[in-house]
Amino acid sequence: MSETETEPPTSETDATSTTTAGETDEEIREEWRQFDFAGQAKIAVEDLDVYYGDDHALKGVSMDIPEESVTALIGPSGCGKSTFLRCLNRMNDRIKAAEINGSVCVDGEEIYQDRVDLVELRKRVGMVFQAPNPFPKSVRENITYGPRKHGDIDTGLLARLTGRRDEGAAEDLVERSLRQAALWDEVSDRLDDNALGLSGGQQQRLCIARCLAVDPEVILMDEPASALDPIATAKIEDLIQELAEDYTVVVVTHNMQQAARISDQTAVFLTGGELVEYDDTDEIFQDPESQRVEDYVSGKFG
Amino acid sequence: MAGATRADVVQEDTSGFEAVAGLTVGLSALLFVLALAALFQLVSISETVAGLGTPMVLGAVLVLAGITVSALGVVSYTGAYQTTARASAGLVAAGLFGLIWFTIGGLVASQTLGLGSPGWQLAALLVGTGGFALTAFPPEDVGSTLPAGALAVFLGGVLVVGAIGPDWSWAPANFPSSQQVTFLPGIVVPMAVLFSGLVVGWAAAKAYGGFGARGRHLGAYMLIYLNAGAIIATLFGLVAFVFMKGFSPMTRGFEVGLGVGPATHLAFALVIPFADIRLFELGYTVVWPVSWPFVMNGVSLFNEYNGIWPAIIGTVWLVIGATVMAVPLGVGSAVFLTEYAERGRFTKVVEVATNALWSTPSIVFGLFGAAFLIPRFTPQPSRSLLAGMLTLGFMLLPLVVITAREAMLAVPDEYRDASAALGVSKWQTIRSVVLPAAMPGIVTGVILGVGRIAGETAPLLLTMTGDTLPDAGSAVKVINNFQLTLSPPFVTNPELTRTTAALPLQLWQIILTGTGQSSGLDDIDAFGWGTALVLLIVVLSFYAIGIATRQYFRSKLKYE
Repeated sequence: MSETETEPPTSETDATSTTTAGETDEEIREEWRQFDFAGQAKIAVEDLDVYYGDDHALKGVSMDIPEESVTALIGPSGCGKSTFLRCLNRMNDRIKAAEINGSVCVDGEEIYQDRVDLVELRKRVGMVFQAPNPFPKSVRENITYGPRKHGDIDTGLLARLTGRRDEGAAEDLVERSLRQAALWDEVSDRLDDNALGLSGGQQQRLCIARCLAVDPEVILMDEPASALDPIATAKIEDLIQELAEDYTVVVVTHNMQQAARISDQTAVFLTGGELVEYDDTDEIFQDPESQRVEDYVSGKFG
Repeated sequence: MAGATRADVVQEDTSGFEAVAGLTVGLSALLFVLALAALFQLVSISETVAGLGTPMVLGAVLVLAGITVSALGVVSYTGAYQTTARASAGLVAAGLFGLIWFTIGGLVASQTLGLGSPGWQLAALLVGTGGFALTAFPPEDVGSTLPAGALAVFLGGVLVVGAIGPDWSWAPANFPSSQQVTFLPGIVVPMAVLFSGLVVGWAAAKAYGGFGARGRHLGAYMLIYLNAGAIIATLFGLVAFVFMKGFSPMTRGFEVGLGVGPATHLAFALVIPFADIRLFELGYTVVWPVSWPFVMNGVSLFNEYNGIWPAIIGTVWLVIGATVMAVPLGVGSAVFLTEYAERGRFTKVVEVATNALWSTPSIVFGLFGAAFLIPRFTPQPSRSLLAGMLTLGFMLLPLVVITAREAMLAVPDEYRDASAALGVSKWQTIRSVVLPAAMPGIVTGVILGVGRIAGETAPLLLTMTGDTLPDAGSAVKVINNFQLTLSPPFVTNPELTRTTAALPLQLWQIILTGTGQSSGLDDIDAFGWGTALVLLIVVLSFYAIGIATRQYFRSKLKYE
């Protein structure tokens, strides 16, 4: 991990800090900034600030996210964790009022600069949303949508006429993506049915499969199981852990047990858009540095 | 809850009371339907039923219904049957009944009794106050049935005693003689029965529900159902009327059989453009197995039966031309407004402007076409099919913009997010996700718009007036006449720059200007009704095509 200069502590953060050992938030931050995880950093965030108009939604967040692991972002509502997640593939660009300052590097490349191709970025950094949002198309069309639009598979009339149409490739892609998302056994006989006819949990796994079909390296998930029942949630959780073998997964969740179960490292955001602590999941849940984080993960507030 | 009134949850058996009330509801619905039929002259009020005049029979039924409904109220008041009547029928009902009885009192006092100026007003006020008091002050069961029953008994009685019979008429003296107004029994009798049937039905439905909350609910239902029924019946009556009048002229000389119809020469040729060299030509002649002169012929001296073929073709081409122009433009600007333009003052102004354009009178569009479009198409400014198409297209445009915009705003943002997160560009998202999801709504807009422009006469008068009664040979042949030229505009079509007949225009010309007389039509009126029916069928066919298209797009979006 690279050491970088940080801003001197502001009076605002000093005022609210209470810690287990009487340290300030800033000192804690300095400690966990030494946090050295096994493996390579996939995403490096430095001093990220986000404003929605006058609302300072994220305050100077810096963290590195290791590859091929699950990183959980937890915190109370409105703490900026979803905003942070949406910064990682520049989905916040779609919100006109959002102003983003700071640096986010994916594989060492700065994504907040002028010559970034958003299409390529989002192909590499995929996203799954809170509510399942399959397109009102067939299961097959949902999976092949991304690759078709990127020209990775040709299925159009012109491709058929010129013989470039590769039926096998599309079929393979559909099957592979659905198997990865643990959905193949349930929908293999109704690939041409409308995806809106699937159950909520199946729809969410279809969304994950759709995201996998474009062959991403990072998968961002914004509370992927919050709209689902416990059984569907368990399936999604198993799936997330399997995916971590090949992908870098970043999960926002409200559910602390879920974060404890599935994640390798956990970042805790608390009210005001500050990243208060970031460490191995076991450390966060058993021996957090900050009193506020301990209160939060033990359910005393938030 | 302290102070809330309580009634038994399980109530006494009131089936006898309900049965009578239900019968009364049925009786008043029957009266309502009969009165509606009489308005459309399906039931003649000058005929007799079992030796009695129709008004007398209607009046007797009305009196019966009025007495029954009053009896229901009184029985409930005496407590013989348990109802949940409230303390009063309410101020709204009281006001309405006061107004009704004020009118009746005034009419009777001034017209029947011949009272002078202060007298009739006083009488009207007295009777009106009586109606108000009778509704407002007694408990609900009496208050909502007695004034209604009395109205039915009074109007029914007037009919039974023959005070208003088939030969009655009334010309109010106060109107200036130049605008002589006469009330005739053909309107007055059905309207009286219709109105009192509605009022009695309302009161009977309340009684059926045992008054109170359930009774008011049923009373409102009765009014709404009867009204909705009347509106739908009127619309169907209108279509049926055109159909009855137009069916026989439209089908004159209609024949089915091998070889009875006209012959059509179908040809296919491969031509090298610009050089006028025909490589080969295939052609054969088909004789239609159907002969339908009104649809297949034009008007000419040699025809056994005359027809309106050129006008049908003209209308079809007008609609096609307008749609081809307006739909891409309209959907395109809707895409810009919803997906690209920053939502703010600009989009608001555009929205208001499109709404205003859609309500602009069609003659204004016609003037625009005449003043702006016509001089730009032909060297010698002249009206043309193309000018008509474009003018109608401009009329259609605002509605397409409005509905396409609404439909695209209704597409959930989740779809756009999902697509963007997959790295798909904005335009591709619009094309493959937003537009397909908005398609049913867009098609609905086009259907509505086409229904309006297909029947427009005013803009065509100014931009495309063609021959009034052309022969079949003068129908436009747009498809066969596209020509490639070496100089701009590269594609020309003389058929588009000449005028043609169109159904609404032709209807207007032959009925109102009487041009048909000089052209040897034997029965202009029948010819007009036939034309109207064909116009109706053409518009309905466009509707059918539109609805089928919408269904197709919907089925692609929905799961079964």
